[in-house]
Amino acid sequence: MLSRTAENLYWTARYVERADSIARLLEVAYRIHLIPNTHEGYMNEWESILQASGIKEEYLTKYKEINKDKIEYFLLFDETNGSCIKSCIMNARANLKMVRTAVTLEVWNTVNSWYHDIGKYEKEKYNSKDLPEILDWVKRQVNLIKGTIDNTQLINDGFDFIRLGLYFERADFTARIIDVKYFILLPSSSYIGSQVDNFQWSLMLRSVSSYRGFKWAYGNSDIDYKKIIDFLILSSICPRSIFFAIDKIHHHMNRLVKYYNSSNKAHKKIQTIYKGLRKSNADQIIEFGLHEFLTKFIDDISAIYNDLENVYFLGTDK
Amino acid sequence: MYNEAFDKKKIRKPYSNIMTWANSLPQNTVIKKKLQAENLFKKIGITFSVYNNFDSAERLIPFDMFPRIITRMEWMKIQDGVTQRALAINAFLRDIYNKCEIVKAKKIPGYLIYKNPAYEIKMIGFKVPNNIYSPIIGTDIIRTDEKSFKVLEDNCRTPSGVSYMIENREIMMRMFPELFQQLNIEPVENYSSYLLDILKSLAPKKCDKDPKVVILTPGPLNSAYYEHSFLADTMGIELVQGTDLVVENNVTYMRTTKGKERVDIIYRRIDDDFIDPLSFNQSSVIGVPGLFDSYRSGNVNICSAPGSGIADDKAIYSYMPEIIRFYLGQEPILPSIKTWRCGSEKDKNYVLSNLEKLVIKEVHGSGGYGMLIGNSASKAKINLFAKKIKLNPENYIAQPILDLSTVPIFKKDSLSPRHVDLRPFTLIGNRKIKLVAGGLTRVALKDGSLVVNSSQGGGVKDTWVLRD
Amino acid sequence: MIININYKTSYNFTSEVPRLVQQLKLSPTECINQKIIKWSIEASEGEIVESHKDCLGNQINNIYLQNLIKKQIITTKGIIHTKNTFGVMKGLHETVHPDCFLRQTILTKPNKKIISLINKKSKAKTNSIEFCHTMNTVVGDSIKYLSGSTNIKTDAQHAISLGTGVCQDFAHILISLARHNDYPARYVNGFLADDSGHGDNDTHAWVEIFIKDLGWVGFDPSHKCSIDDKYVRMGCGFDFADASMIKGVKSNFKGEETLDKEINIQLQGSQ
Repeated sequence: MLSRTAENLYWTARYVERADSIARLLEVAYRIHLIPNTHEGYMNEWESILQASGIKEEYLTKYKEINKDKIEYFLLFDETNGSCIKSCIMNARANLKMVRTAVTLEVWNTVNSWYHDIGKYEKEKYNSKDLPEILDWVKRQVNLIKGTIDNTQLINDGFDFIRLGLYFERADFTARIIDVKYFILLPSSSYIGSQVDNFQWSLMLRSVSSYRGFKWAYGNSDIDYKKIIDFLILSSICPRSIFFAIDKIHHHMNRLVKYYNSSNKAHKKIQTIYKGLRKSNADQIIEFGLHEFLTKFIDDISAIYNDLENVYFLGTDK
Repeated sequence: MYNEAFDKKKIRKPYSNIMTWANSLPQNTVIKKKLQAENLFKKIGITFSVYNNFDSAERLIPFDMFPRIITRMEWMKIQDGVTQRALAINAFLRDIYNKCEIVKAKKIPGYLIYKNPAYEIKMIGFKVPNNIYSPIIGTDIIRTDEKSFKVLEDNCRTPSGVSYMIENREIMMRMFPELFQQLNIEPVENYSSYLLDILKSLAPKKCDKDPKVVILTPGPLNSAYYEHSFLADTMGIELVQGTDLVVENNVTYMRTTKGKERVDIIYRRIDDDFIDPLSFNQSSVIGVPGLFDSYRSGNVNICSAPGSGIADDKAIYSYMPEIIRFYLGQEPILPSIKTWRCGSEKDKNYVLSNLEKLVIKEVHGSGGYGMLIGNSASKAKINLFAKKIKLNPENYIAQPILDLSTVPIFKKDSLSPRHVDLRPFTLIGNRKIKLVAGGLTRVALKDGSLVVNSSQGGGVKDTWVLRD
Repeated sequence: MIININYKTSYNFTSEVPRLVQQLKLSPTECINQKIIKWSIEASEGEIVESHKDCLGNQINNIYLQNLIKKQIITTKGIIHTKNTFGVMKGLHETVHPDCFLRQTILTKPNKKIISLINKKSKAKTNSIEFCHTMNTVVGDSIKYLSGSTNIKTDAQHAISLGTGVCQDFAHILISLARHNDYPARYVNGFLADDSGHGDNDTHAWVEIFIKDLGWVGFDPSHKCSIDDKYVRMGCGFDFADASMIKGVKSNFKGEETLDKEINIQLQGSQ
């Protein structure tokens, strides 16, 4: 397939996933806002979204203060914010439009109507009360898009690039949210390893939509630091975990290497990371330092993307 | 004015079934179906951006559900007429880029060709594969009475609109399947496979395997981008942009995830000037450096050939009957429209003193821009055109204001006649000609308007050629 | 006359050029006016690939380069035997109708100042050859030769209002004027074996005007003469941009580019 096609498919998937992640974060924030006496947690939640998306500075320059309505607008519709849900939808669609022919009509239709409908939500004078409805709609559309892809696309190299986009985004986002929240939850390093309020931990799980999953996996036991690391970083059954995403990336890169019958740097690097994570345990990560671990992971993933880009998208790697 | 559906109050025979159907629709069904059609279009993504419009947001092309009907007999004549023109146009292009016999025979004044910027001297003496310069020709046809279909314009560079022809049909079939069971309507969906077949027949000599065909688009911001992707999709070929192609050692390749892959035929939807910044407009960023030299080396075919545009130049148009006679030894099946060329002193004087009775067109304009319709224009606009013509007479032609035929459209609670034209698409390849029975009917949605261009408030209709 | 030519063009890049495609029109014209005794084209980087001969008789060659570092040097050299035919070009291998060169381009578009260089009446009074010589002379007087006063993007209108220019500008003004008076005219590139005049270390440019019964005739407005055996003709086109001997298009290049030229023209036996 055309290099550009692969690149556009990859980015379409990334933006779809990003819209989903932001919707899920917003949902948690909204939920907290309904619970009395959690003012601080609530603000933390907002800030962590901004921080995880790397747009806190941008927001503060424009809006000056942390304010619920303003943040909501900023994250939903403000086109000057490249990571708001609307921008993600527009970018996903713009990328897909360039390769309209590489996806089925049904996939195109789902993304295209997503794009047409976000405009409607924006026009019907946005009211904070509608937030759950909008978020619900965003998530539903994302599920629809992903389902339509799985259901109608050929499972060929194009599919691999779509999946790579999705899981690169997820790996990156989960790593960032854990990192950010971990700092908010544990402002001082002396707290590390100590019991923290259940509620606060549950926030971290909720922000990556894994609260219920955690309960299922660990029974109704107390949430603690180690289990969280285990679940969100190393679990092979939690779809939001870092290992889960790496497992998928590894799988799809394997397929590409087989399909094109030639290996590359990106592939070798992902193998190393995959094997490393599989052997690792929560204690090792804690010993290494969670923040250090996540920072390194984010850098590694970004380096792998650059290699991937060189091989498949730019054709400069020979 | 010729109403295709009604003879005074009486319904014409070809329209009788459809009229019964239209009248049987309860009013709210029309509105509901209209909405449904619009939604389908939106979902499928038929949109077009309008030139000279600051709001580049995508807009839906208006679709009217009342079909335009053409009888078998009428179609036979149209088909013969456009085929004849397609052959003549390609013979003409071959001649003027080689021996120029038509000029030597004094059938066309040489200056109309030589001084014309559309005449690309870089093409002179080059043998294009199979002598086909313009494999895809869209002919704009108007009807002025029961018998006469006339050619308004030939489009032989990169005519657009064929995707609407196919999608309009698709939507009508989804919405009114019962009509298609009742009536015997010629299908149009073969167009893409015809097109691929025609393009493949034009592989350069050096190509010795199944030829690789691609469509070259300027990109998603182009007004016809939807059509480019539609055609690529339905032909099962790659839609490429300039940056997807590279030329090395005069061979053209596309960049793929597997590495470079050789390309044999490029169906380009980019204007001549932008194809290759090395040989043409240096500032083009949508072209491919070296592509023209790859073409001239016989390693790739570009369809249509650069320089084909000379044949649909409005100044050449008026010579089309001569061109048909000269190359084919036949009389034109479809007549052209009387045309005054302001380049000639006599014609210019006539035009200047009859501006309010004429349509004035810029020789190099298209899409209904740079046009004056004398009887409906303001005094100021008429004066402006008079000035322009005096300043640069060779740049203008004039034609009588024609009463285009009408076909009904659905209004809120009634049917109402609107002016239409028809653009069938003729495909001409190596020793074969193909066209689907039908075309794009464009309709002026404003009451009384004669401008059918989608960029200026026109819409489209499905066109049904009946089998019996 | 036997003329030795050695022409070297160096392109220097401040950073790596991911992709560069060059188009060369670097072969002297084959015609009766000049005979090519020896000629060669070399490039320091990449292979020179033959493309085709265009309708003006120019041989088109290409070079395709990737990841080019720092420099590309193109060298042409050879020996040409020229004849003085008093400007009249003979035996050109062309298939293009001269009237094509009535088209003005962006670089040659006339303005009032250019049009008024010549009195309309003089056109009616004199014969074609005289008229062309008159045009050549008035254009030669219309601006002053000043090296570096214009650049490759300067058009005829700009040059004439500036009042100064180089051979390229003289040529554009003459082309503009000739075409305006319905004489097909075109831009010619080449070399001038000349030690008296403007010793710019560069190629030369002049004009050919089509005169009925004579064919293409070479005029040099910067020297106010018609061409002779000191001129070596390389190629022609509608204007400077079209006629360029070397064109190049770089992709994804973010650095700077500079150009050096070295030209050495000698009359055989004169040294």
